[in-house]
Formats: sequence, C-alpha cells, structure tokens
Amino acid sequence: MKKMKFRSIVDGKVEGEAIVSPNPISFFGEIDPQSGIVLDSKNPLYGKTIANKIFVFPGGRGSTVGSYVIYGLKKNQASPLALVTNKAETIVIAGAILAEITLVDQFEEDVTTIIKTGDTIQIDTEKQMLKIK
Amino acid sequence: MTLVNQISKVVKIYLTKHQEKMLDGEKGDAIAKLMQLIVKIGEVNKAEKLIPIKSAQIAGVSYFTVGDSIFSFFDLLLKDEVKVSVPSWLNPAGMDRNKWKAMKIDEKFAKKQFEIIQTYEKMGIETTLSCTPYLIGHQPSYGEHLAWSESSAVIMANGFFGARTNREGAPSSLAAAITGLTAYYGLHKKENRLPDVLIDVEAQIIHPSDFSALGYWFGEKFHGLIPFFSNIKNVTLDKTKMMASAMASVGSVAHFHIQNVTPDAKTINQKDVEEHIIFTENEKQEIYELYDSTEGEVDLVTVGCPHTSLSELVLIESYLKNQSLKEDVEFWVFSSNKVIQSKDASNTIENLESRGIKIFADTCMVVSPVVRNNFSNIMTNSAKAAFYLSRDEHIKVKLLQLEKIMERVIK
Repeated sequence: MKKMKFRSIVDGKVEGEAIVSPNPISFFGEIDPQSGIVLDSKNPLYGKTIANKIFVFPGGRGSTVGSYVIYGLKKNQASPLALVTNKAETIVIAGAILAEITLVDQFEEDVTTIIKTGDTIQIDTEKQMLKIK
Repeated sequence: MTLVNQISKVVKIYLTKHQEKMLDGEKGDAIAKLMQLIVKIGEVNKAEKLIPIKSAQIAGVSYFTVGDSIFSFFDLLLKDEVKVSVPSWLNPAGMDRNKWKAMKIDEKFAKKQFEIIQTYEKMGIETTLSCTPYLIGHQPSYGEHLAWSESSAVIMANGFFGARTNREGAPSSLAAAITGLTAYYGLHKKENRLPDVLIDVEAQIIHPSDFSALGYWFGEKFHGLIPFFSNIKNVTLDKTKMMASAMASVGSVAHFHIQNVTPDAKTINQKDVEEHIIFTENEKQEIYELYDSTEGEVDLVTVGCPHTSLSELVLIESYLKNQSLKEDVEFWVFSSNKVIQSKDASNTIENLESRGIKIFADTCMVVSPVVRNNFSNIMTNSAKAAFYLSRDEHIKVKLLQLEKIMERVIK
C-alpha cells in the first residue's frame, strides 16, 4: 500500500477504481458529456468511460467550455468519483467546483505514473491522504 | 455529500463582509456557487483579495462548443433569476441569427442556439455575439480591471488599450459578470505586466497578414510570455488585432507591448528586458510556408477572424476594383452585427454582396460547425483561423495577404 500527499481543491472522501490517462485532457471534445466515454482516438483510454471511477490525468487543456462538460457529466450521472491531477488549471477547477467533484493535485511525483488503471484508490482530503490499495 | 462538506471551509483570501455573505449563501445558491468559483480560483493563484470589475466579455455561447451541458448550468442560475451587475456582452455564437438557413444550419441546432442566446439575454447580458467588443462601442479604458474571456479580446484589452484582465474561462467570466468581482492576481497586477522578451522586427511588416505571421511566430516560440516589439511602423488597430489574435491562440499570450504605440510601452525601459531576439524575413516566410498546404481547388475563401471592422470591409471593397467574384468562388466574411448594421457600412455591404461575397454576423469560421463540415481547402488571411481550422485533419489551409487573395478570386 502506498500513501501520497497532495493539495485539496474540492474536498471529499471517496474510494473507487482508478482510470489513468497519460495525456492531458480537453474535456471539451475529448470526453462525451452524456456517458463519460473518452472520444480522443489518440488516447489509450479511447472508448473507455471515466464515469464512476477516479480519473487520474496530467492536466487540463483546450477550450474553457470544458468546465461545462464536467458539470454536464454530473447532471447526466456519468461523472468521475474524483479528479486526480498533477496540476489543476482553471478549466478543471471551475468544472470540479460547479459539479462538486473531489479534486486534488500537486503530488510529489507524477501521479499518472504512480497510479495504474485498475488500482483501487482511497482519497480522504480531511486526512490529506491518498492510498493505493 | 452536501455542498458544505465538499468545498473546503477555510477561506485563504481576504473577503469583505458583503462578499462573505455572498459566499455563505445569503444571496442564494447560485451566487454562493459563483463566489466559490471565484474564491477558489483566487486561492489557487495566491490572490490576496477580490476586486470589482468594470465589464465582462463572456465565452460559452456557440452551441457547437458548449453542447447540452450548458443547459444544466443555466438551470442553476435561472432558479435564482440571477442578473449581471456590470456591463457584459457575449462571444460569437454558432450561427448568424438572421441568415442561419443560408449557412445551412439545421433547425435543431438553431433552436438550441437561440435558447442559449435568450438565456444569456435574460441575465441582462448584451447579445453582441462578437470577439471584438472594442470595435462596437465597448473600448476599455487604461487601467480598468475587466473579466474578459475570448483570447483575442483579452490580449487586445491588455496590450492595445492598457486595461487589465486575465484570460477568464467561460464559467469564471460569467461568475464575474454576475458578482461584479474577480480575483486579484496575474495581469491585474502591474508587476506581472512587464515584457519578457524584446523582439527587434527587422522583417518588412506591412500587410495585416504579416502582423498575423509575426504574432504566430512569437506565440509558437514563446508560449505564455509577454513581448516588447520594436521597429514596427504604421501600426493600426486592425493590424494589431491580427497579430494579437495569432499570439493568443497559438501561444496563450495575453499581453504585449509595441514601442511608441501601446500605452504600457511608454513606462518600459528597453534595457531592462533581458532577452533580445531579431525577427527577420526568414522567420516571416516560414510562417507563410507553414500554411501553404491546400491541394487542388480552394473551396472556401474566408476573412474575419477576429471579426472585421468597417475599414476592413472597405479594404476588401477597394481590392475588388469593381469586379465580381469568379463564379465558382465561395467567399465568406465574418463580422459583428453592429458593424454590418451600421449606417456607414450599408453601401459597402450592398456592393460586396452584389459581387458575390457572403457576409455573416454573430459567428465565425472557428466557432460555427458549418465551415468544418462543408469545406476542406480553405484560404484565409488570418493566422488564428489557419491555426484552429488546420487542427481538423481533413482541412488544408492557405494563409495569404488579403490583397493577394482578392487578386485570385476576382474575374
């Protein structure tokens, strides 16, 4: 079991399966707001869904309307349980706040190489702890 | 999980009593949520306080880009009947409000697009549907704090007008419009507005597309930095707009200085800028060559990224030399509704249309689905348009001076 420290931007206590994107994500255009399915054919996660999983990715990019996609995912019950990233930028921050999805960033190492797709992850922002089971 | 548990309780930013009440929900759930957004973005960027803004320019209008996700967010805002508290206006939509049928936009798209525009209007936002608010009566003043979002409007507000705005996102510009507040960080602070690189412009920079090429080159080479350009002559607002929009789209650049032209430039000592680079003819040509990829017949010629001014429409007219377009040429110009509807433009518009040029308002080749869906060999004078359109794999783009474009398309 590995424990990691981070910065919490939107607090929460969640446990779930990780899905890890090695590429930065533009929520606009690369994630289907209805289903959470990854639409970018260049991404190894192409065709898989981030819904009800802990989504781990290096950072956000692309159009700022991506925040509305994150909000849409929540309303369509297709949102990830939590967003885990190396550096949260405004698109992801705004989306996570609007949708009330736990968001953490600023790990000591590249989080996308430490967590693997399929790992069971536990996040507790109050205890400042992320555990890989 | 309830909202209170989710958003961290400790606020690390100074708030007035009134702002605290907004955050705590005394002004309703929608205001509380928008304040959380502003405060959190402020905290992440280490802002010490919030500041009032003079105006907001709001992105997230085209149905093509926002999709149906926007409607769930609107529900939250409409429930509390929120209104903007400062002058606010909208970015371009996905279609011309009047000529959408001529653009081959389908009924379903149009219905959704009108619903989005009307919702913003209900909040008290002026439906300018333009990326050039400064051309239609909304010129910012020196030193004013703003919350603008469209990347070319942001960089023009900072660089050309000396106002102060960060690159706001679609939701944060709307949050700022409604609360009248933004976090005090980044380009709102004087110390963050100084140039990083001095560009000595040795190349001939004459045509608007030359300015476009210079901006493209800088954006690609110096992502996110602030340039100080020296030795550029005959600078106009229209030309600056082409340069600034290219830097902003290619390199996320949000501010610039031009020697003896822009307001902040006067306060800068060139010797204080550590890095000096020369922009030569070679670099200029490289950008033109980058966008020389059309194969076979060009199927669309398009101008108006950013939206054309009246003087640019007059320029197109003069290059036409009283000729008509060749019969097989599709030529689309994008501008703002206010410019097109202005009295001074009426003769020019009539003349251009009678010679085969189509003029559309409220939208552009980047945010409307129509251009991508119907054309694949596109010629334009805008490096910004070239950059965005060519990201679509099936689209080839040729970047050319307006004058040369016109020579090719007239009879």
